[in-house]
Amino acid sequence: MTLVFKNLRKQYGANVAINDVSTDFAPGLIYGVIGPNGAGKSTLINMTAGSYSVSDGSISLDGRRLDGMKKHQIANSGIARTYQNIRLFDQMTVLENLEVCAYPAEVYNTWREVLWPPYGRERAAARRESAMEILRFFGLEGYADAEAGSLPYGRQRMLEIARALAMKPRVLLLDEPAAGLNHHETAELTAKLAELRSPERIMLVVEHDMDLVMTLCDRIVVMHHGKLLFQGTPAEVQASSDVQLAYLGTDNDIDDIRAAAQDRRAQLGIRARRRS
Amino acid sequence: MLGTFIQQTVNALTIGSIYALIALGYTMVYGVLRMINFAHGEMFMLGAYAAFLVLTVFVGDIGAVGAFGLTLAFFGAVIAVGFFGVGIERLAYKPLRNSTRLAPMLSSLGVSLTLVTGVQILAGPQPVAFPSFFPATRYDFMGGTVTSVQIGILVAAFVLMFALYTLVNRSRMGIIVRAVSESRPTAQLLGINVNLAISAVFFSGPLLGAAGGILYASYYGIMSPTMGAVIGLKAFTAAILGGIGSIPGAMLGAYILAFVEVGGTALLPLITNGVLGTEYRDVLSFAILILVLLVKPAGILGEPVSEESMVYKREF
Amino acid sequence: MSVAGISSSAKPQASRLVAILVLAAIVALVAATPFLPNYHIRVVNSLLIYILLGIGLNIVIGYTGLLDLGFVAFYAVGAYTYALLASPQLDLHLPFLLIVGIAAVLGMITGILLGIPVLKLRGDYLAIVTLGFGEIIRIVINNVDWLTGGPKGIARLDKASILGVEIARPVEIYWLLLVTVFLVGLFVWRLERSILGKAWAAIREDQDAARGIGINTTNAKLAAFATSATIGAIAGTIFAASQRFVSPESFTLQESVLIVLMIVIGGIGNILGIVAGAAILILLPELLREFAEWRILFLGILMVVLIIVRPAGIVPRTFGPEKLIRGLFGK
Repeated sequence: MTLVFKNLRKQYGANVAINDVSTDFAPGLIYGVIGPNGAGKSTLINMTAGSYSVSDGSISLDGRRLDGMKKHQIANSGIARTYQNIRLFDQMTVLENLEVCAYPAEVYNTWREVLWPPYGRERAAARRESAMEILRFFGLEGYADAEAGSLPYGRQRMLEIARALAMKPRVLLLDEPAAGLNHHETAELTAKLAELRSPERIMLVVEHDMDLVMTLCDRIVVMHHGKLLFQGTPAEVQASSDVQLAYLGTDNDIDDIRAAAQDRRAQLGIRARRRS
Repeated sequence: MLGTFIQQTVNALTIGSIYALIALGYTMVYGVLRMINFAHGEMFMLGAYAAFLVLTVFVGDIGAVGAFGLTLAFFGAVIAVGFFGVGIERLAYKPLRNSTRLAPMLSSLGVSLTLVTGVQILAGPQPVAFPSFFPATRYDFMGGTVTSVQIGILVAAFVLMFALYTLVNRSRMGIIVRAVSESRPTAQLLGINVNLAISAVFFSGPLLGAAGGILYASYYGIMSPTMGAVIGLKAFTAAILGGIGSIPGAMLGAYILAFVEVGGTALLPLITNGVLGTEYRDVLSFAILILVLLVKPAGILGEPVSEESMVYKREF
Repeated sequence: MSVAGISSSAKPQASRLVAILVLAAIVALVAATPFLPNYHIRVVNSLLIYILLGIGLNIVIGYTGLLDLGFVAFYAVGAYTYALLASPQLDLHLPFLLIVGIAAVLGMITGILLGIPVLKLRGDYLAIVTLGFGEIIRIVINNVDWLTGGPKGIARLDKASILGVEIARPVEIYWLLLVTVFLVGLFVWRLERSILGKAWAAIREDQDAARGIGINTTNAKLAAFATSATIGAIAGTIFAASQRFVSPESFTLQESVLIVLMIVIGGIGNILGIVAGAAILILLPELLREFAEWRILFLGILMVVLIIVRPAGIVPRTFGPEKLIRGLFGK
């Protein structure tokens, strides 16, 4: 099972958001997608999930083209995603947010559900139990009947991931899952995401939080100005001068920045920290 | 033949002018608040009733009213309706500025019903004869007849539209209104008085609509509490056709719609051999409305909204 | 709200009392009606028809979150189907139940036909287009004289009869309506709690996210339109059979708006809310006899006030029939 980006391009008028990106993703690994703001990270997720159209190139899962398919068809092909700005079904309960993911599989049984109460009860109980299982994994079972919108922010982030899992996805796309979380919540999230690693699942995590990315991810994809700048293990990425340049500026700038930082520390009487 | 053509053109220009005056109100409100104001047609109706009220109360004998009295009634009525519009906005729409997207529209449904039934209770539901604001002279022009009412409507409408255009494009208030239409949050951050801009729109929109109502009632000699409904919908069609949110669009859409209506109702019986007659005129404008919204919702001069930037959060 | 499994109803006694009171009121009204004079029974019948219409429209507005302002179109389809198939107009006299079936199918088709073009429209444009469709249907009915009788309408419709039992007197119509409202209400209530109902709720909350979890929103919305239209048509058929007269005047834009108001005021997305809204709509003019005109004025003002102060409506969505039943058993 592989997710393949081939010569992917996304253009808005004169603005090229994604410029000839080609790579592939294998299951059993967690991929981090990083890059400065505007690099195109979320755009990649949006294109894979079908929210944005593809200007050129292709996205395929196991050889099947995803680009051009309708959003719900892509979802039913096994792609689940979370959003940068949380998009839960606020007025539905936490359980319902997960139970509704059974729709594609069960919609055609609606007549039986409605007209034959025993079958309806049985289905409702089964859906509830599947949902509860996932909630328990995330420690959210206590919120089961609460309105999703009433949960604390950190719990809502977890819930969105739980909902994505309720789709039994083959590909899990997480768009800045740690945004707005404090240290403790981020650590909790990192641990939970690590448990989701599976030989049957491809995971992409777009993130700004470097601690999370370096701790969690097996491979890191670095985006810059819409191009794929570098790919590799966390160690390789940290060592790469290309990546450093991209984040910090040109050669000259790095020296200037270091010099200015030294002056400042001297001014403030701070001793330089030695990085090991 | 030429005479009929001239005749129909003048008719279309006349009714188009009235549509334009009302359409401008829809488009400006949509521009600043992104809201479809269902109660706007009622401003049209209130203009006629307000003018009638001024005439009967302040001028006295309706039969013997002179030019001065009529002018007083006209300006008094439209300004009163303008202030009324501002008041309605404060009461029924302002509290909803940060609510769901369709809440103001639903509120305007309620306001519309309230105004129509209010007038029905106060003035009776039956149509009332309305005095003409213009002397009843007819002119022959290249074989067609043009009445002074029609000329009056054209002149009044053009003057008002020109005044609005100047205000929007050349005055400070105009800049403020345009800024708020572009982006309300940004305007607020820049210290622009957003409330003032919105009030200005809710003053001038109803004012123009009321003027349209007085002119319309003069033209047809009659007014009724429900006169705002169908005309309002047609003016709304005009605004959508031209591009909702665009002032030139509203004017363009109004005249196009008027010409299509006049032309269509003239041709419809001919084309269908009398099967479909002039009573399908209203269906024509609904059909245009539906078609535009389905095919090109941005209208002729409107900005196309890209699919990807649309937000689908809960609407009411 | 509720955290760590603590029940949210802090006053089980109070909600039990309310449940008992509401149920008692409903039972009292239902039981007493057959013994009231004909005039009052007709009022109750009118109430029941509006409840039926509300249940239908609520599927689109309340469950799925789409603002349909042209609902009378389906009501008219049902009414005129009866008028054409059981009257001297075309000299057809089909049995009542068959006509109900035909009207239901026609309603469903009309609902799908209306749904297909409007599905991709944004909320306010969808409202306008549905409004336009409703008006077009009314204008067409008004003008196709040879078929629909035009503004005069069609009169002397047959009396309805089911299995040989004639249903013409107000009390007989009452029983028919009561059974219909109960069955349709039960069906729709169960539909809301099914997986399709949950999908509708998801679409209402965030259509895009709904697509993101695999919901085919186009089909789900079409199902909503079709179901709501079918119910509207059934209501129209019974309406025509009870009045034994139809005319375009019963199917105006104001009628569509009133049904929407009824739902929004009473309580969006909740069958009990619809009952409350219909009660306000129908019973109010009865209480304010000389001020009947003021009913709509009052409704308009109430609408504005509620949208600002309590947009969910008088009866909140969470206070549905299941709350009543649970309250009764003290859970």
